[in-house]
Amino acid sequence: MMAVKFFGQFLIENGIVTRENLLQAMELQERKNLKLGEMTLQLGYVSQVDITRAHNAQLSKDMRLGDLLVEMGMLSQEQLSDVITRQKNSHLFIGEALVLVNAMTSGQLQKQLEAFKADQSDFVSDVVELPVKVANNEIWQMAVDLTFKLITRILNIQFRSGKAHVVNVIPANFMIAAMDFSGDVEGCYMLSVNEKLQKTIAKAILREESVEDEPSEVLEDTVMEFVNIVCGNIAAKASQMGKIMEISPPTTIIPAENGIPVVEGHVVLCFPIHVGDYGKMELLIQIPN
Amino acid sequence: MKRVLLVDDSLTVARQLQKIIEGSGDFVSVGHARNGAEAIKMNHSENPEIICMDMNMPGMDGLTALRSLMVIDKDVKVVMVTSLGGVGDKYTEAIKLGAKCVISKPFEAENVLKILREL
Repeated sequence: MMAVKFFGQFLIENGIVTRENLLQAMELQERKNLKLGEMTLQLGYVSQVDITRAHNAQLSKDMRLGDLLVEMGMLSQEQLSDVITRQKNSHLFIGEALVLVNAMTSGQLQKQLEAFKADQSDFVSDVVELPVKVANNEIWQMAVDLTFKLITRILNIQFRSGKAHVVNVIPANFMIAAMDFSGDVEGCYMLSVNEKLQKTIAKAILREESVEDEPSEVLEDTVMEFVNIVCGNIAAKASQMGKIMEISPPTTIIPAENGIPVVEGHVVLCFPIHVGDYGKMELLIQIPN
Repeated sequence: MKRVLLVDDSLTVARQLQKIIEGSGDFVSVGHARNGAEAIKMNHSENPEIICMDMNMPGMDGLTALRSLMVIDKDVKVVMVTSLGGVGDKYTEAIKLGAKCVISKPFEAENVLKILREL
């Protein structure tokens, strides 16, 4: 079974490079890939004193260094764009760094990049339409698509996806496994299942023929673990798309009979997943408005 | 048989890993810690040779525990087993801190055993 991977991890797992090679390449990356502060300093746009002042201001303000330098009048917007472009253009990627430390040749790198692309091709996103446009639209589209792919691959469930819509109340169900995302992309990911589907998920995750004797704690935990796997892979894919998504440990929510009203200032997108005779599970994504 | 400590807040994952490692005949599970702090305590009391540890746990997370373990116990071999394995920053941080390997979820039993045997 495959997961969304980082290129360095793929190379180690396939025995192309060693852990020590990777460590050397990462050291080289750290030396060559200048941080934003270092590059603005090197270009003479700001002084060390400016950087120190901005770093201090960062302690009380949740802003990126570049934006803060602009806000404090130490750097112009044009200079910031210039630095970001230079950072992008001069970025030393892990594969190139591995060639520079002689862990592999350029020819091997090209070959392995192709092999990596093939390995990860199952995770190439199909476009899923969201019912409304939200912040980080493309990330949430990917999240829904990846959920569908992993339901098929990990749970081995055949399903049909229903029409996505916005809900004002999170519908009642047997249980919901939830996980919060923070960082560049904020939201709460929820998978709502009925009792029958909870058992189906438990069988697949535990790889057991029967789960009738399992305590409810274990059954709930299997749904949380499935959500954990999906969300970790979403975070991995998001990092390839340039967005940092931190995840918190999963939790279980038992909704009230009338469901859970959506918290003010948030929108909840609902993606029904119809599983034949087993009824319906729903993917719900709560995003700040 | 090599002694393995399992560290994961999920009962499910601990059970999956226990089944895999004990079924191999090469390893024995010496316990299950539910977070990083418990892992540090159990590393001291159970003296495992290998620790299989999650990253995302309530209380002390896996990377924080890994940092401490590498200072406290130079001999123990830590393998991270995580759904976050594919996040480049997390992967590289774990390797830099001293993890021997990072196994992504979902994992296959054969792959886990192959990695543990090569340690």
